[in-house]
Amino acid sequence: MTATQTMMSETKPMIQPGGRHARRQHAKYRYRDGRIAYFLILPAVVLLGIFVIWPAIYAIYLSFHDWSFYKDPEFVGWRNFTNVLNDPLFWAAIGRGFVFVLMTVPVMLLLAFFFASLVVSVSRWAASTLKVSIYIPTIISSVITSIIFALIYNYSGGLLNAALAVFGIDPIAWIGDPAWALLAIAVPAVWLGLGLTSLIMVAAMIDIPTEYYEAAAMEGANWWQKTAFITLPQLKNVGLYLLITGFVAAIQQFELPLVMTGGGPLDSTTLPNLFIFNHFRNDINVGYSIAAALLLFVVLGTVSALVFKFVNSERLVD
Amino acid sequence: MAVALDVAHTSAPAPTRRKHRDGLWWLYAIGKTIAGAVFVLAALFPLAWMVIAGFKSKTEVIQTPFQFFPEVWHWENYVQILADPTFTRTMLWTFLGAALFTLLALTVNSFAAYAFARLDFRFKRTLWVLVITTMFIPGMTILLTSFIVVTNLQMLDTLAVLVIPGAASAGMIFFIRQFYLSIPSSLEEAAMLDGCGRFRIFTHLFLPLSKPPFVVMGITAFLAYWNSYVWPIMTITTPEQFVVQQYLATFRSERSTELGLLMAGSALAAAPVIILFLIFQRQIIGNIKMAGLK
Repeated sequence: MTATQTMMSETKPMIQPGGRHARRQHAKYRYRDGRIAYFLILPAVVLLGIFVIWPAIYAIYLSFHDWSFYKDPEFVGWRNFTNVLNDPLFWAAIGRGFVFVLMTVPVMLLLAFFFASLVVSVSRWAASTLKVSIYIPTIISSVITSIIFALIYNYSGGLLNAALAVFGIDPIAWIGDPAWALLAIAVPAVWLGLGLTSLIMVAAMIDIPTEYYEAAAMEGANWWQKTAFITLPQLKNVGLYLLITGFVAAIQQFELPLVMTGGGPLDSTTLPNLFIFNHFRNDINVGYSIAAALLLFVVLGTVSALVFKFVNSERLVD
Repeated sequence: MAVALDVAHTSAPAPTRRKHRDGLWWLYAIGKTIAGAVFVLAALFPLAWMVIAGFKSKTEVIQTPFQFFPEVWHWENYVQILADPTFTRTMLWTFLGAALFTLLALTVNSFAAYAFARLDFRFKRTLWVLVITTMFIPGMTILLTSFIVVTNLQMLDTLAVLVIPGAASAGMIFFIRQFYLSIPSSLEEAAMLDGCGRFRIFTHLFLPLSKPPFVVMGITAFLAYWNSYVWPIMTITTPEQFVVQQYLATFRSERSTELGLLMAGSALAAAPVIILFLIFQRQIIGNIKMAGLK
């Protein structure tokens, strides 16, 4: 969002008096830094070109071909895409991705909101302790997180089942039971992602002018009224931003299931990206996997656009 | 890094909200303390659990009946894993790679950021749009074709395959450029009158001022390298070249009975990034701000 704004602000008026010669002179003057500029941007542009742009073009090319490491590409038109779209496993993975989003994003937004409300109402020392603590999980790798949570979920000697036993609940095979496995992965995903979401929420809440609350307090508004009529409406844009970025991050999650379960049991944790990644590793037809990745990208973009439109249209109502 | 981070401003003090001074204020205070404790505990407990489990003996980690603290605190796990040359070499190797990666990323991206912020050149807009576009390409769509590219470049199983491909980053260029745009151009003009060339202005004026964005982006790059797992497992196959996350995942699947040792190793592998974060937490947290989203 900010990117487009700055790009737009960069346009400079190009109207120049005088003829062609003068214009060329002007260009010569204007671009006098050309050589040093190209020298400075060359490394970045070359690296991005080789390792991002070219792979992206190549991916689109391969998605229309039947190709594996052992033979020449053969053009097959849209066949890879129709294969993916007709694959019930692909749709099952997408559906699972949405379930995973529902398990993580609303909880994260709610917790972040409570966290932010707490942070703005306590002393500075307490606020910074809270902020540092909640951010620490963000810097821990998915592998270490998986190792820790797999230990906590352990069937016979894990902390969670031991804690539940206190309440007389029988042990559950958290990551071994298809009914629980996805939820068992959602918890560490929230643990990892909550820090950034919360701190963005805190920053947004601090930005709400204090005068609003002072005025409300003078009118005798209580905490609930202040929250409902000041805080929530003021947080709408940040909430929308966090909703979309949270959705995009959650549906793309695949390192946690990759390490914790490998996608099992019975595919119950095969999130969309893990579905694609497992295809990369096991399916020799590369075109299929790449077509699936491109289709997922389209799904992601469409849903983000729909969410944006839906929430924004609500703003028009009020 | 899709989050809009803004280094130009230091964090504003949190406004103190009107305190509840009615009869129930102590109830609010207790409620807040409990809520705060729950958040801190939820965030830190899993890590504490990892450290505690690292002190347990082989059979104790998942023994029944469950025991919270170890019977005897076994320092041996930490000593043993630190004495394991494979582990220490992997840690040092990853550290070296992360340092090189950070250095390369900061150099390449700050060069580009300066050019896009301050210099005029032909095709500037086209190139800028091209750079920004790369931010929106999801990693999974180019994962396999990037792998094909590095295979063709004979980069597999070298340090270069971990350090070079991810070094240029549109997000980082964008972030540093935002900072450079906020530096007043009068400074630059003064330097130019003194006969400084553009490159000298960059190295003698902009670089010394770049500490805030370099700290934030440097740590981001270091963390990204230290925590990376998927790209290494695709491109590195010789155990001598493994990075630390790869080592831990392999340890977990191959030596699954030595859980105490695994937890000790994980704790030691998490320690450098936690220490790094705690040193620079003020800068990192202070820079999470929403720009243009109000």
